[in-house]
Amino acid sequence: MLVDRFLPKSRTTRRKWMAALLLSLALVLLPWVVKLDGKPHAEWEHFLGRFHMLALHLPIGLLLLIPVLEVAGKKRSALREAAGFVLALAFASCLLAMMLGYLLAHGGGDSGPVLTRHMAGGIALTIAALLCLLARPWWAGSDVPHVYPALLTCTLLVLVWTAHQGGTLTHGSNYLTQYMPVGLKRWSGLAETPTTGSFYAKRINPIFDANCVACHGEGKIKGGLRLDSYESLMNGGQDGPVIFAGQPERSLLLTRVTLPPGHKQLMPAEGKPPLSAEQIAWIRAWIQQGASQTAATLAGISLREEQAELPLTPVGDYSALMPEIRQMEQAQGAKVKPVSSKPEDGLILFTVDASSSFGDADLEKLQKFAPYIVEAELGRTAVTNASFDTLKQFTHLRALHLEETRVTGLGLAKLAPLTQLTYLNLSGTQVTAASVAPLSGMKNLRHVYLYNTPAEPAPGTEPAQPAARSAP
Amino acid sequence: MKQHPLCTDTEHAPNVMEMNVPPGLKQEWAELQTRRHFLGRTGKVLGWAAMASLLGSRAMKGDAHAGANGPYGAQAGGPLKLPHFAPKAKRAIYLFMSGGPSQVDLWDYKPNLAALYDKDIPDSVRGAQQLTGMTSGQARFPVAPSHWAFKRYGETGTFVSDLLPYTGRMVDDLAIIKSTNTEAINHEPAIMLMNTGNMNAGKPCLGSWLAYGLGSMNDNLPTFMVLQSKLNTKENNQPVSSRLWSSGFLSSEYAGVGLRSAGDPVLYLTDPDGVDREVRRTMLDAVNEINRRTYEELGDPETNARIAQYEMAYRMQTSVPELADLSKEPKSTWDLYGPEAKEPGTFAYNCLMARRLAERGVRFTQVYKRGWDMHDNVTGILPIICGETDRGCYALVTDLKQRGLLDDTLVVWAGEFGRTVYSQGGLSKENYGRDHHPRCYTTWMTGGGVRTGITYGETDDYSYNVVKDPVTVRDFNATLLHCLGIDHNKLTYKFQGLDQKLTGPVPASVVPGLLA
Repeated sequence: MLVDRFLPKSRTTRRKWMAALLLSLALVLLPWVVKLDGKPHAEWEHFLGRFHMLALHLPIGLLLLIPVLEVAGKKRSALREAAGFVLALAFASCLLAMMLGYLLAHGGGDSGPVLTRHMAGGIALTIAALLCLLARPWWAGSDVPHVYPALLTCTLLVLVWTAHQGGTLTHGSNYLTQYMPVGLKRWSGLAETPTTGSFYAKRINPIFDANCVACHGEGKIKGGLRLDSYESLMNGGQDGPVIFAGQPERSLLLTRVTLPPGHKQLMPAEGKPPLSAEQIAWIRAWIQQGASQTAATLAGISLREEQAELPLTPVGDYSALMPEIRQMEQAQGAKVKPVSSKPEDGLILFTVDASSSFGDADLEKLQKFAPYIVEAELGRTAVTNASFDTLKQFTHLRALHLEETRVTGLGLAKLAPLTQLTYLNLSGTQVTAASVAPLSGMKNLRHVYLYNTPAEPAPGTEPAQPAARSAP
Repeated sequence: MKQHPLCTDTEHAPNVMEMNVPPGLKQEWAELQTRRHFLGRTGKVLGWAAMASLLGSRAMKGDAHAGANGPYGAQAGGPLKLPHFAPKAKRAIYLFMSGGPSQVDLWDYKPNLAALYDKDIPDSVRGAQQLTGMTSGQARFPVAPSHWAFKRYGETGTFVSDLLPYTGRMVDDLAIIKSTNTEAINHEPAIMLMNTGNMNAGKPCLGSWLAYGLGSMNDNLPTFMVLQSKLNTKENNQPVSSRLWSSGFLSSEYAGVGLRSAGDPVLYLTDPDGVDREVRRTMLDAVNEINRRTYEELGDPETNARIAQYEMAYRMQTSVPELADLSKEPKSTWDLYGPEAKEPGTFAYNCLMARRLAERGVRFTQVYKRGWDMHDNVTGILPIICGETDRGCYALVTDLKQRGLLDDTLVVWAGEFGRTVYSQGGLSKENYGRDHHPRCYTTWMTGGGVRTGITYGETDDYSYNVVKDPVTVRDFNATLLHCLGIDHNKLTYKFQGLDQKLTGPVPASVVPGLLA
């Protein structure tokens, strides 16, 4: 009979099963007996609980090792023997990690759905490991061939799920996907909805997302406070509201993030980096001016988007050309100097020594070095529109100074192949609005200076060109 | 021994036997000159010579770079390989507010102080800070709130005193550092510390380090220039000496060259009557030849520096008049800088000159404005000096910005320390004095490499101590060097057995919060 096979045969085995059943029952009842009520308890619990982070990696490693040992054990029986031992160890470490984890949650006063799931997972995992331990002798004795492999598979699945819940608790739910390539994100439906235009959405909520919601979010709700939405933020926590619109001094949230370093109640807690002065200033101003969910701008706070600098494209190594460059410098008076000690940063052309005599013909002589020159200072030289034919070969050019030269802008379109060009100074020349129009097609060209030219936009009007940006 | 060609002292070495000394001593001297003695000394000399050649010339000279870099300093390709990384700023302008501007009255807005008028500042705030002899004997340290109101300016809503209406207009372009602090409490050590990284004289200043490290962009002008503003005798003008732009132990080629505030910008630069440019050239060639021979004989690198300086002066004979000729400046320049800028030597004129130097590829320009030292009569003097400087600062930054120069020019505004919140001498509603205060003072910077539109650091309610993000003078200088592509730990010069550097031996760090 099948049932006979399942029934414990000897008295010791029966005792083992009894003990296992009792333990499982105790574990299942644990959350009802010792409740996780979201309030901190004894400090020693918290102290011991912190070792959960240390202990939890043991069962993960050991449990993952078991199937490897079992499979490899087909050929080498010694490994199969070891698997039994490792399984016993895995169960012991599971139990330890689980107990420590419980102490951590109970001592630290943590609660929340993710935490509950993680706890349930931990208990289930411990019981599953225990069942594996008991079922393995049947399988080894070939009495019941399928129960143990099935149990082990389930155990591993529970392990993965529990570990993921735990990771979400410590690192936040978007930890794994934060840097996912955009294409993949879109495909997997994780693409973020574009933030709405309000100051809260653009500046305040992202601060909480990055620094607070790991403990005050969907997963963990420390102190009963959630910061993952505007409504929950305004609802406050167990000590009442944390934001009083218009009263930054009364707002507990601001108080807690501005405590002196090392203060026990300083947030973000537990060695996480404090908020920056700028972030605190934003929060303060936002509260001061009504803590609105919808206001788009605040007086006194700039919403200027930081323009990311174009990453530098390395140029080739020009070291072999240095003797020739020195010769040219001697003959011409123009200087070609390295940008930095790294050859890939390229060269700068200085002409200020020889400015009045440096003309189009002199520029043409530099063609050989053209691909290595990233910045050309041709201000106050004798170059004309004809220089554009030479300049278009300066393929790595990032900055071009033509201020107070005789260029009139005719032929500026020839610079279109210079995709790296971000800075163009035409101040004090005779360029006109029409002649600089082709520049609008160069999308990396962010800094165009037209001071003191016919093309200069009249004061008070918005420049059609990205001229004279607001800050360096 | 062969005499130096320029030395007129042609005496022979003294002979002991001819000197008027007791015969016993002469006898003793003669006995010392034995053959054994001679051979022993010769052997030692040979030993030292052998060791010197084994160790190579570098070990003996102390530093191999000295004067060997010519006018290009130690820049990339040279032994120091500079800049260390691609710089954001190629040049810098440093507006030095000598005397110690009052952060309490200009930048560090403390509205709560009004209620504390004439109350003593708590001992807990004053702490163990040493005071100068000028106020350490005071029985009381009564709070003197600023006499002036503050207003919010710009998109950033930064508070700026009513004394600086022009500067207020550009706050969005500045990085204002409220937490600068120094260790020195008196002018000379403090100003030396700011400029050279050391309170004692003898170290090279920031400009000299830059000239040495980065070299010249324009051979026709000095790499490092100093502009002094005219004195206003109503102000308490602390002396500013040439040690502040000295090259210290670096070759004197790297010292700052000053432009005078009145008369010829550089003395004796114009040729005297009857000497034309050709005669001058012939004379210089001859002098250079003599100097070259001297160098060959004695090997003193300073001789090379002398040759380079003569040549620089020759080139400056044409470049300086062009620099100082403001006739081609458009009307918009005068609208921006104000009428004062037409008068040589005013701060506004120097700001305009600093812009012209930047356009002409001068690496480092330092403008000095003296008179910020206000131990009494703050309400009488501060408006005067703010009126002299406020518009110039604004005009310079705005001008650089509209001309596209601010992208790669670093501009710095700083003094050597701040001023106390308590009054020195009598305090009334109308007037007060302020003593030196090293623990916190306000500076600003902008331009290439700087994160603008921010206020960095915080002080306590009394503007007495830094409570957040302190910036020491070392960190301040390390940050300036960083903007110019220099790792402050790597720009060194071996002198007196140490790898000397601007930031000194105490660890310094670049302030990332100030960087773009």
